[in-house]
Amino acid sequence: MNHRPFEDWIISEQALNPVEKRELESHLRGCKVCSSLVDTGVELRSSRMVPPKAGFTHRFHTRLAAHKLSERRRRFWGSLVFILVGTFLLAWKAGPFILSIFASPAEWITFVIGYFLFVATSIQVLTEAVLVILNIAPVLVPAYVWMIIVSALAGLGLLWSVSIWRLTRYTQGA
Amino acid sequence: MDEELAWVIQAQQGSEDAFTQIVETYQKPVYNLCYRMLGEAEAAEDAAQETFLRVYQHLHRYDQKRPFATWLLSIAAHYCIDRLRKRKFAIFSIDAEDDEGSVIELPDPGSPDPERESIKREDREQLHGLLQSLDSTDRAAVVMRYWYDFSEIEIAESLRLTVSAVKSRLHRARRALAGRWQEDRSEFQTHRRPHESPAI
Repeated sequence: MNHRPFEDWIISEQALNPVEKRELESHLRGCKVCSSLVDTGVELRSSRMVPPKAGFTHRFHTRLAAHKLSERRRRFWGSLVFILVGTFLLAWKAGPFILSIFASPAEWITFVIGYFLFVATSIQVLTEAVLVILNIAPVLVPAYVWMIIVSALAGLGLLWSVSIWRLTRYTQGA
Repeated sequence: MDEELAWVIQAQQGSEDAFTQIVETYQKPVYNLCYRMLGEAEAAEDAAQETFLRVYQHLHRYDQKRPFATWLLSIAAHYCIDRLRKRKFAIFSIDAEDDEGSVIELPDPGSPDPERESIKREDREQLHGLLQSLDSTDRAAVVMRYWYDFSEIEIAESLRLTVSAVKSRLHRARRALAGRWQEDRSEFQTHRRPHESPAI
């Protein structure tokens, strides 16, 4: 019998019958590698758990308190910077516009009404264009092309779902 | 519902007392894992504290269908693996770190055979040193297998590996440990003076 099965027996720690035990004992007398495997296995199995120094929980609570404090500070300064920058940008961008409103309200009202009319007209034109395309497209595009498009979209949807599932699968490990 | 799960649920609902119970219960296994992974007491203390901090922050993500200890120890193992990877690129030499904060195991004064105790202690220290020579993921697998009796499936789940990868890593690690153990022994016997007692 060659060396490999003995090595597997030792590492897997499987239960051996009396004949196998005798074979292993006889092999161990001549094989330094397997003897070392047994020795290290015994050492690993008999190693004790090392405890932390006394007061671990107290030290943890101190660290947790410090962490919470730094989080609160970070959130406070983050919010403050965000508000200040936001206010500055708003004042910088909208300032002249607001000033112009107060300077000539009639001109501003005309501008707003004109803008809304433009948006409404654009939507109407786009809707008509889409309706025309929808009326023409089924005649021009054959049925099998529609099937290919629908299948491709379904495939992409499936790929997207699988990617999301794979990405979120290991969130447990934090 | 067992007591442990009750603490976890209470801690998820914001109970500090319940989380304290969790820390009290698991400080030793978490610290031991970090110590076996990182090799020194100071780093292990820091890693164990950081593990509990991460658990505190991500407790809402814990799936109650999974054993809490497995989840907790997998967080500790991943943190230690990341830390070891970063350490590889650190400027500081590992040799300098090894001198700091290592746990000194004193022989048991009540032991009937102090010489044998001393040999046992040396063997434990030798094994602890040899563990540090393993790849970080292999080391985590060995620690989980031999200190926590994790099954290969549990190790695979904790370390995000396949079961066959865990088997091959454990096999490789055990062979490496045995090889180095044997080398150390031969070196020790070569350097020992001929008239010296075999026990010392």
